Order: sequence, then structure tokens, then C-alpha cells
Amino acid sequence: MATAPDVTRNPFTQTESPAVGVTIENLSKSFGTFEVLKDISFAVKPGEIFVLMGPSGSGKSVLLKHIVGLEMPTAGKVTVDRRDAAAEETREHVRMALVFQAGALFNSISVYDNLALYPREHRIGNEASIREKVMHALQILSLENAAQKFPSELSGGMKKRVAIARALVMEPQLMLYDEPTSELDPVMGATISEIIATLKDQYHVTTIVVSHDRDLALNIADRVGILMGGRLVFLGPPSELHEPKDPKVADFLHPKIDLQNPRFKQLET
Amino acid sequence: MRQLNNILEGFGSTILLLFRSIGYLPSLPRQFGRFVEQCYLIGYTTLPIVAILSFFIGSVLALQAGYSMQNFGAKQFIGSLVGLSMARELGPVMVAILLAGRVGSAITAELASMKVYQEIDALVTMNIPPVRMLVMPRLAAAVVMVPVLAIIANLVGWFGGAIVSKYTNFISIDPPAYFAALRRFMEFKDVANGLIKAEVFGLGVVLVCCNIGLNTRGGPREIGASVTRAVVTSLILILVLDYFVTKALM
Amino acid sequence: MNNFQQTARVGLFFILGLALTWVTFETLRGGKVFKDQGYNLIAGFESLKELKEGDEVRMAGVKIGEVEKTRLAGRRAEAVLRISHQVKIKSDASAMIVMAGLIGTNYLSVTLGTEAAPDLPDGAEITTKTTPDLNSVMTQMGELGKKLETAIGDLSSALSGDGKNETGIIKKVDQLITENRENISKATANLQEITTKVNKGEGTLGRLISDPKMYDELVSTIAEIKNGASEAKTFIANAQKIVDQVKSGQGAIGALVFDQKAGDDIKVSIANLRSVSEKIARGEGSLGKLLSDESLFRDAQSIMKKADRALDGLDDTGPITAVGVVYGGLF
Repeated sequence: MATAPDVTRNPFTQTESPAVGVTIENLSKSFGTFEVLKDISFAVKPGEIFVLMGPSGSGKSVLLKHIVGLEMPTAGKVTVDRRDAAAEETREHVRMALVFQAGALFNSISVYDNLALYPREHRIGNEASIREKVMHALQILSLENAAQKFPSELSGGMKKRVAIARALVMEPQLMLYDEPTSELDPVMGATISEIIATLKDQYHVTTIVVSHDRDLALNIADRVGILMGGRLVFLGPPSELHEPKDPKVADFLHPKIDLQNPRFKQLET
Repeated sequence: MRQLNNILEGFGSTILLLFRSIGYLPSLPRQFGRFVEQCYLIGYTTLPIVAILSFFIGSVLALQAGYSMQNFGAKQFIGSLVGLSMARELGPVMVAILLAGRVGSAITAELASMKVYQEIDALVTMNIPPVRMLVMPRLAAAVVMVPVLAIIANLVGWFGGAIVSKYTNFISIDPPAYFAALRRFMEFKDVANGLIKAEVFGLGVVLVCCNIGLNTRGGPREIGASVTRAVVTSLILILVLDYFVTKALM
Repeated sequence: MNNFQQTARVGLFFILGLALTWVTFETLRGGKVFKDQGYNLIAGFESLKELKEGDEVRMAGVKIGEVEKTRLAGRRAEAVLRISHQVKIKSDASAMIVMAGLIGTNYLSVTLGTEAAPDLPDGAEITTKTTPDLNSVMTQMGELGKKLETAIGDLSSALSGDGKNETGIIKKVDQLITENRENISKATANLQEITTKVNKGEGTLGRLISDPKMYDELVSTIAEIKNGASEAKTFIANAQKIVDQVKSGQGAIGALVFDQKAGDDIKVSIANLRSVSEKIARGEGSLGKLLSDESLFRDAQSIMKKADRALDGLDDTGPITAVGVVYGGLF
């Protein structure tokens, strides 16, 4: 890493803008009486890849939504670049891109228009420069041939890549991925992981990945957090995960398929 | 109690949506493409069904009026009756109901599916307000197109009545006499009244359908439920608004 | 479909809507968009009755404008008329409210006026005529009906009697004819006999018809008789008047028909007539001789000549007098 760790390089213009940090302080969130997140605190440093892991339903996606401001905390505070994530103005100052689990592509318009929507709506450059940007982003993810296709014509892996390309066009300072490798075959999963790491290396974007993909976490993460039952049970570099102290964490990371004593039978007793 | 709460919440969020849409109105020139597209959907493609329905409503009005009036010799007032009922009441209400069924349901379905498939969330993270991009052009299109539909419905209905009046044995009133009666007891005020009503209904229907679509929560099953709720709410709204707008315009 | 096409369609659609709205507006307002079309006249009435704003103003049945406004001005009602510029209304034209239908549909009718009269300027007042409204017409109609009924009743009782002591005209005439049937038929028979003789060329009248010279004289006489026919017309007109009087029971003939004594007189005169014609048939008396005696023919001829002269002298006095002369000569 030759560049200063607190600067994001724009993937298109190569201009540099400060990378942003994310802090989460005593965050709690309830839906009705059901408490999803319980008093969570951690910080993501500018320019690092932070992987948030945890079993299904542990509240990872909800936590992610708090960072982009789609959910309001019941208690506590989330700040992005020292601004309240829940406030609308934050998104005016910090370019954040969230890659949704299912892609969340706009189904009624083509892949090209999906990517061009952001610069068009925010009037960044003319149509020619937008075209250049979009084609560049598609090239990065080797999607040039899909430009005129509609999202419904794409495979799951392609949708995820288009979603990442769409995030890239936004020239984000903060990239968030929600389950980028789920529902993909192992090779495609590895490819996506490589893309995430490459993007971070080349452009120094602060990256938060929500995933339960162990390989991804162990290979590209700078730091890993593990959520269980709405609580943060582990926070540290991936090297610490090879020998976890907490048995639940160990079970989550290295689940043994025990046919003699299956888990669903343990729950019954 | 909870239901009352829901109704009040829906009411409040609809009003808020209206104000936010008005706030985004200055960006309309930039969204001209979307606006035209919505105009096309709301106005142009709805025209055939509006024309067919209003033609037959006018015809049936003339037929029923002729049938019930032949006994006391007031047949020459069929023109006025059809003219006034179409312009003041049936034209606008019918257009609004068709709009709820044909356009409103489509709007709700589209917005609800965008919501369910997180496209709305994606817009939010991209710092593109969904109201600006999805609601405002639709409302503007409704404002522009619904009166056009209503005036067409009026005229088609009048002509439907005229044709039936001429060719029905027990009525047989010539079009000149029919239109003379129509003109005699009608002023442009009546038509303008109807157009204002259509405008209010159109705005209400699109607003309610957008709001319900955007507030959809849950999975794909909720899309269907939202569409049903949007259409039912629209129909109730049309008839309730009808009473109050009519009263206000009197 | 491309964007341009869509935009074009939406644009056309919107323009169509505007056009239709305008057409409706024009139709229902009767062209009031341009308020300064035409000029104003004021028509004052005691009551405007069913006339209301927007009603038509017609001249000789043609629409020339409309009632722009109705208002109360002091002790009368005023209608402000808007008249088309092409139509000039003469100062002696008058306006009245006319009903076009039984249920509250009126228009204001303006008469043509005279050609020479000056045109009414903008804002001038037009003279008005009150027309009876439906109620007063109905009342008058009712009265008229009552009068008509009594008149018809009187007439029928006069003609056929009221069934009590009075006998009707028809009955009386009937009676008269029945009572004198014998005399009338005898007189008719005698007349027939005379005609037969004349036909056969017998007697003076027969000669008269077959003699060419006599004929020429007769023709000239007839011409003069014709001449007098116009006077006869006046006479007939007078006679008509008399007949009318008879009908109403006035005058001599009236009395004749209705009076028993006069009837008896008629009987007597008819009896006399019978005896005269009987005498004639038997060759008695002058006419009888004239008809049967050769020698008398010549006298008749001279009398004819005299009559001719007399007619010439009388010139314009007409056939009645001439016939009188002939008659005088004969009897």
C-alpha cells in the first residue's frame, strides 16, 4: 500500500478523496418487542475491509441498513465520517454504495441504464462521459456484453456483478456488500471475493462485507466481526479465527456434521 | 383502535407524500421523459376503455331516462339529463374509477415490487429520492391527463345518448333537439365543475396508489395485497371525495 | 416505440383535450369567449316572465343575439340584449317576449321595423310590447268558449224550435210547402205546357226564338241585361243583407216567415198566380193572347222596338228597369 491509508482513489478519474470511517456506538434495534441488535459498538477504520459474519437472522443485514441510513436505531448511534448515518444530509456528503443481496437492480430498465441512473440523476457529466464511465465499470467486471440486457435476463452471479458495477459507477467512499457470495457456486463466490479485494486494493475504498462465507472472510478481511443473537461476540483480525476461544464461534466457523447426535435433536431436549 | 390508527397513518403519510411531491416539482423539466411516459400510460392508453365505457353509460342514461319519462311527456329533457349527469357526476367518477382499476393498480404493483425487491432502498442509498423519481412524475401526469380523459368521456357520453335517443322507437328525438335541450339547461360551469372533480379524483387515486405501493412491507405476497388495498381505498376515496367536492363546488 | 413517438402522441392527446374543452366551452357559452362581440340594447318590461339570461333574441324567427343580463331597474325589469354586429335594429322596431314551449322556454322577438327609420345605437333602449301571458290567454279562451256555447245553443233552438210553443224556421218552411203543394204543382204543370208550346214555335215566344231579326234585337237586349248584371250583384248583396235580417227575424220577410197572417197572404198570392197561369193557358188575358194569337205578334214586335228605344233612352238604368218596361207593356 503505497498510498496514504486515509485516501480513496476514484476508480475513474483517479482523483483522490478522503476515505471515511464508520463508528457504531451502543446500537440497539427492536422491531416491535423483538430485539434484533443489542448494544453493539465497533469502529471501521478508513480504507479497511471489515467482514461482518454471523448465522442467518443474527441481524447482520439490519446492521448494514443502519449504516446506509435505511433503518433508524432504537438506541445508540451510527456515524459515517463523523456524521449521523440516519440523517439524510449524510448521503449528500458521503458517497455510499450498498450492494444488495439480491442485487436490487431496476428491473424495468436495461443494465446500461441501471448503471447510468446515478450519474444521470445527479447530473455528473454529459452523456458521453457517462457512457465512458459505465462501460469502464462493466469492463472491470467483464460485463460488456450484458450492457443492453435487462436484469431479468441475467444469471444470479451476473446480477451480483452488475450490482457491484452499479456501485462502482457511484465512485463510492464507502462500499457495503450484503451477502455478495451467497447463492453462488464456489468458483463464482471466489471470483466475487477477488473482485472485492481488488477494488479495495486499487481504489482504497472503505469496505464492509456482510457474509457468512468463511473463505471470503479469512482471505480478504482486514478485520472480522461476528454477530450472534444480536450481540457482537467476536472482533479481531481473521488470524484469530483459526483458534476461536468461544465454542459457539468455533461451531459457527467449523460446524461438524454429526449424524449420531444431530443439532435439531439437541434442541428438542 | 389499531385499524383507526392505520387509517390515520395512511391518511397522514398520503398528505406528506403530496407535499413532498410538490416540493420536488421544480425537477419536473429534468424528468420530462418519465413525465411523458406516465402521461402516455395514464392518458393515451386509458382512452379506449374510457371512450367505450362513457359511450355506453351515456346510451344507458338516455335509454333509462326515455323509458321512465315517456309516461309523463318529459322526453325532450333527455338531452339535459344525460348532459348534466355525464358532465357533473358520471364522467369524472367513471374516469376516476377506471383510473384506479387500470392505472392505480399498475402503479401500486410496480412500486410495491420495487419496494419488496429493495429497488427503493437502492434508490435511497444512491441518494435519489424515490418520491422525486417515482411519485412526482406520475402525479404531474395525472394532473395533466385526467381532465383530458374526463372531457372526452363527457363528449362521448353525450353522443352516445344522442344516438340512442334518435334510434330508439319510444324516444326518437333528433340530435338537434337533444343537443338544444342539453345546451338549454347547461352551462360551462357544470362541465368545469366535473373537470375539477376529475382532477381531484385523479390526483387522489394516484397519490393513494403510490403511497400504498411505497409502504409495502414483506415479501412478494404483499404486492398482491397492496394492489387490492390500493384499489379498494381508491374507490372509497373517490366516492367520499365526490360528496365533499360536489358540496364544496355548489 | 421510440420516445419521440410517445411524446408526440401525448402532445396530440393533450391538444385534443384542450380543443374539446374549448369546443364545449364555446357551445355551452354560446360564443361568449370574446365578450366584445355585438352591441347592447336595453329592453324594459313590466315583467320578464320566464325570460332568463342566455335566451335567444330573434328577428323574424332568426337568431340575432341573446339576453346577456336580466336586472331589476327601479319599477321595471330590464333585459340587456347583446345583438350581433351584422344586424341593425331600426328605431321603430319593438321587442316582445314570446313563448317557444309550454315549459319555461322563451325568446325575445324583435320586429323588423321600417326601412327608413334610423338604426338603434349601442346602449339604446328598444320599445317593447307586452304580450299576454299564458294565464290571461287561458282566461280569455275560457270566456270565448262560454260565449260560443250560448250562440250555438240559440242558433239551434231558432232553427228547430225549443220544443215548446215556438216552432222553428225549418218546420215553418216545411209547413208552408206542404200546405201549398197542390197549387205549386199546378203552376209547374202550366209552365211546362207553355214551354212545350214555345218549343214547337207556336205563339209569339216561339216566333221570337225562330226569327233571326228578332233574335238580333234580343241579343242586344241581353247584352244590356248583362250590363246590368253587375248592378244585380249589388242588389244580391242587399238581398243577402235582407236575408240576414230575415234570419235574425227582422224586417218584412222575417215577419212573413214567422207570421201566420203573412203566410196566408202568400197562399192567396200563389192562388192568384195559379189563376193567372190558367188564364194564360186558356188564351185568356194579354199573355194568353200573346202566346196563342198571330195578330198580336206584330204588336209585340212594335212593343219590342219601343222597348228597345226605351232601353236606349234609359241607357244605364239596367235590366231591372228594362224588364219592368217589358212587363209593363205586356200586362
